[in-house]
Amino acid sequence: MNVALLIALAAITYLSRAVSLVLMPSPPPRLERFLNRIPAPLFASLAAVSVIESSGDFAPLPVLLAAAGALVMTPRRSLLAALIGGVAGYALGEVFF
Amino acid sequence: MTAAAGNAGDERSPSEPPLAVALAPIAAAIFVFGAVYGTVGARVMGGPMTLLSSAIVFSGALQFSIAGLLLAGAGAPALLAAALTLNMRHVLLGAVLRPRIHTSPLQRAGAAWFLLDETVGLALTRDDDAARILWRAGPVCYAAWLAGTGIGLVGGSVDALQSAAEAVFPVLFIGLAALSCRNRSGAVRAVTAALITGAVAILWPDARALAPVFAAIAVAIPGGDS
Repeated sequence: MNVALLIALAAITYLSRAVSLVLMPSPPPRLERFLNRIPAPLFASLAAVSVIESSGDFAPLPVLLAAAGALVMTPRRSLLAALIGGVAGYALGEVFF
Repeated sequence: MTAAAGNAGDERSPSEPPLAVALAPIAAAIFVFGAVYGTVGARVMGGPMTLLSSAIVFSGALQFSIAGLLLAGAGAPALLAAALTLNMRHVLLGAVLRPRIHTSPLQRAGAAWFLLDETVGLALTRDDDAARILWRAGPVCYAAWLAGTGIGLVGGSVDALQSAAEAVFPVLFIGLAALSCRNRSGAVRAVTAALITGAVAILWPDARALAPVFAAIAVAIPGGDS
């Protein structure tokens, strides 16, 4: 790792963040409706991929129980509630398994 | 979306918690990630490069991936490929936020620095202009990330936190999914996308970085919201 490579990684990251915000015009209503349907599936997919190891195996049990705890709290639609559920699930996994 | 850029004060609706309350658990989680990254990064690339990476990349998912790839002996092409694939979701999240932003291109370019999964999740659930949310929540997240990295560097070892930090990722994303889910149709799409992504990650681990983006697009295509 050198500074030039780090700057290249930073540039790719910033450009990925800026390209839609800066260059994209305000979308027409139909496209906006489509875009509005993306966040929940995207975050849910990121959650799914984060409970599976890069080898294709499931994450350790405490991590899975943390995710289950957060899932239980989803009807509350609160990030704090999800974190509390996650902590409870994780603690359960650490203590009993 | 009810508020446009330039409105003064907090534009939250009566049912919304203050931004600081919504932001506190996010900042705490980012601080923990940062501390773990500081510890891991110091071993892999040394203290100065670790701190510099947090300062100029500011992407936990990518930085942890870089550290993992460096540990595995990967070279520059692999690191750049990881950056391209992992950051693809930012393009999508930026497009989602774009209709909720009514500021100049220059202000949008500045706000883009603070476009994170977490700040996007916050922006989607508040009535204020999304750029204002990014500008207000982003610096707090950035400070938490840098402070966490610094603590990880000087603290020597936070190995005990590493497993807990691994658990925070799914919990945070489940919370963000719940926040951004507005109706039954959205819930069905979210579950479907998660199942598709999970199956891809298990059956084809090499595609795991791209799977969330394509799964989210695929389930968003069928029209209708109930």
